[in-house]
Amino acid sequence: MELLFIISTFFIAAIIGLLTKRRRVIEYAAIIASAISLVGSFIIANKVATEKIYNVSAVFSIDALGAIILLIISIVSLTTAIYSVEYLRQETAKDIIRVNRPRQYFILLNLFMMAMFMAVSFNNPILAWISIEATSLSTAFLISFYNKPSAMEAAWKYLTVNAVGLLIGFFGTMLYFTAFQPGSEAGLVTWQSLLANASHMNPIIAKIAFIFVLIGYGTKVGFVPMHTWKPDAYGKAPAPIGAMFSAALLPVAILIILKFRIITNSVVGVAFSQHLFLAFGLMSIAVPAFMMLILKDYKRMLAYSSIENAGVIALGFGFGGIAILASILHIIYHSLVKASLFFLSGNYLLKYNSAKIENVKGSINVIPITSVLFLAGFMAITGAPPFGILITKILIFSAGIKTYPIISLIGLLLIVILFIGFFKHAVAMVFGKKPETMKREKENIWLILPSLSLMVLVLLLSFYQPVFLQTLINNAALQY
Amino acid sequence: MSIVTLKILLEIMFLTIVFLHISKKNYDAAIAYGIQSFCVVLILFNSFQETGNILMLFIVLLTLVVKVILAPTFFTRLVRKHDLNISINTYLNISLTLITVVILTAIAHSSKLLPLTTIIPANQTLLALSLSVMLLALFLIVNRQGAILQIIGILSFENAIVAFTVFAGLEQSAALQFGIIFDIVIWITIATTFVSMLYKHFGTLNVTSIKNLKE
Repeated sequence: MELLFIISTFFIAAIIGLLTKRRRVIEYAAIIASAISLVGSFIIANKVATEKIYNVSAVFSIDALGAIILLIISIVSLTTAIYSVEYLRQETAKDIIRVNRPRQYFILLNLFMMAMFMAVSFNNPILAWISIEATSLSTAFLISFYNKPSAMEAAWKYLTVNAVGLLIGFFGTMLYFTAFQPGSEAGLVTWQSLLANASHMNPIIAKIAFIFVLIGYGTKVGFVPMHTWKPDAYGKAPAPIGAMFSAALLPVAILIILKFRIITNSVVGVAFSQHLFLAFGLMSIAVPAFMMLILKDYKRMLAYSSIENAGVIALGFGFGGIAILASILHIIYHSLVKASLFFLSGNYLLKYNSAKIENVKGSINVIPITSVLFLAGFMAITGAPPFGILITKILIFSAGIKTYPIISLIGLLLIVILFIGFFKHAVAMVFGKKPETMKREKENIWLILPSLSLMVLVLLLSFYQPVFLQTLINNAALQY
Repeated sequence: MSIVTLKILLEIMFLTIVFLHISKKNYDAAIAYGIQSFCVVLILFNSFQETGNILMLFIVLLTLVVKVILAPTFFTRLVRKHDLNISINTYLNISLTLITVVILTAIAHSSKLLPLTTIIPANQTLLALSLSVMLLALFLIVNRQGAILQIIGILSFENAIVAFTVFAGLEQSAALQFGIIFDIVIWITIATTFVSMLYKHFGTLNVTSIKNLKE
């Protein structure tokens, strides 16, 4: 019931945006819908923690990892909605966007959020695919939001690369249906019924299907080499949309891949998917590590950081054992920190009117709160103490060093290279001599609060996780 | 329909995708896509005849409207509106393109892909042909430099997947197929809107000329 309420609330918020032109009403509708989703997600997560699964008829079903990701989406959605209100107001005041544009923005944002909730909770792989496709369709115009040639190019790339990727994923999904005997009345195929019938699958088809699914949904995750759309889209979309992409959509796509992974493992054993995860994981750390050294744009820098973290998560699932638990924790920490960093990148953009790293200098003397939070975010995302990502990385690589020492060592080396690149850019932005024309101004609380609350939350979760969350993480680690 | 008729339909699909590789005019490409989609509609109609499920007839009609009428109309309008009839080059020249087409067709029929083409052994030829169309559609997307033909390539890829799933006995319920077609309608609308916007901003649909984002 809670789930249907959440989904319909986002839909109603989108409809309100269509029906009225009153900006305040549209803004409040988006915030209220996200707040309701947060409350609903907590209720669902608690139910999953006690009952292991949350079902609404045969169509919707949420397991432990699904519940964790619902929580992530709802937290990021609420902070994004709150941040977007002030961010777009400032962009309107600066004549960056026209007065009527936030209406389109919030309609699409609500549809995007709704599609993500549906992708996580649908119990049928095709419906999940349709929902993931809907996330692409609802966000294409958000990437081209600023109506500039470069934004248009980024959106076109996003649309075509993701369409091809998702069609490949769709083909892979269909191949899993060979688990059912031809002509048999399978009814509504669920993740559970697929798993139950997996033994009927031809192992070679299972392998081919998983490769297609990994490439298809991996495009949405942004695994290298299917990542090409990601830096462009993240770089050109409004900052809060970058936050939604990196912090919410990425875990959703990972969840779908993991669901197929369980089915594949039951047919061909663990080693096959494990090796693929390791290969994609390592590639996804290697490319950002070297790109980080030559990047010129700080939003693209965050995009490459997301690709790297997706790689770390994939490595964790590839190594197995305790690394899976660490990967789940990594998903949580990465989402919260990365959303915060994207909001802060929006603050930089508003103040410096440029996304170029070379144009942002001495921000500590211009926007000090943003700068301090940005440095904290940089430390958190690269795995510096006292943030939880340090622990997750240690756990992942210590698990890997026993079974795959060379991959682990290469991965660690690449992470060090990435840290150096990120550090160089972050220090250049925060310190140094500020431009003469740039004056220190009081920072708007609504542009700070979303980032601050996420950073506080990630710090808290680094030391303490509530019992229900611990239960969900443990159950998810056992299941996946 | 007999297996021979179905094979002819798939062969027409195959020929349309080969034509899309060498076509010099976007208008002709839009028509070729319409013909290819009509073959898919007939394949789906055959499936309806076998199952007798009336909801499947609804899906057949919907596919007809969306893929045979609406999509080609969108494309031809776009071509007329911006005077874009001459399609943009391929990355590979015609000879190399055709050689690649032959190689990909051979791969689709090779023993390496037998597990896929023998999902239903009786339909092996049909599945191998569907797989060929799929590979050629993917090649079309990467080989063509024009945005319109890239869209047609993506939609042809989707047509090939539909044909493959029908012959592999993996067809889904009408409700799910409705959801998929609904997604495709939205995708076509958004993609054609973007093509218009790209043309407005860049004055060309040659994707090799759209390079503002080089890092």
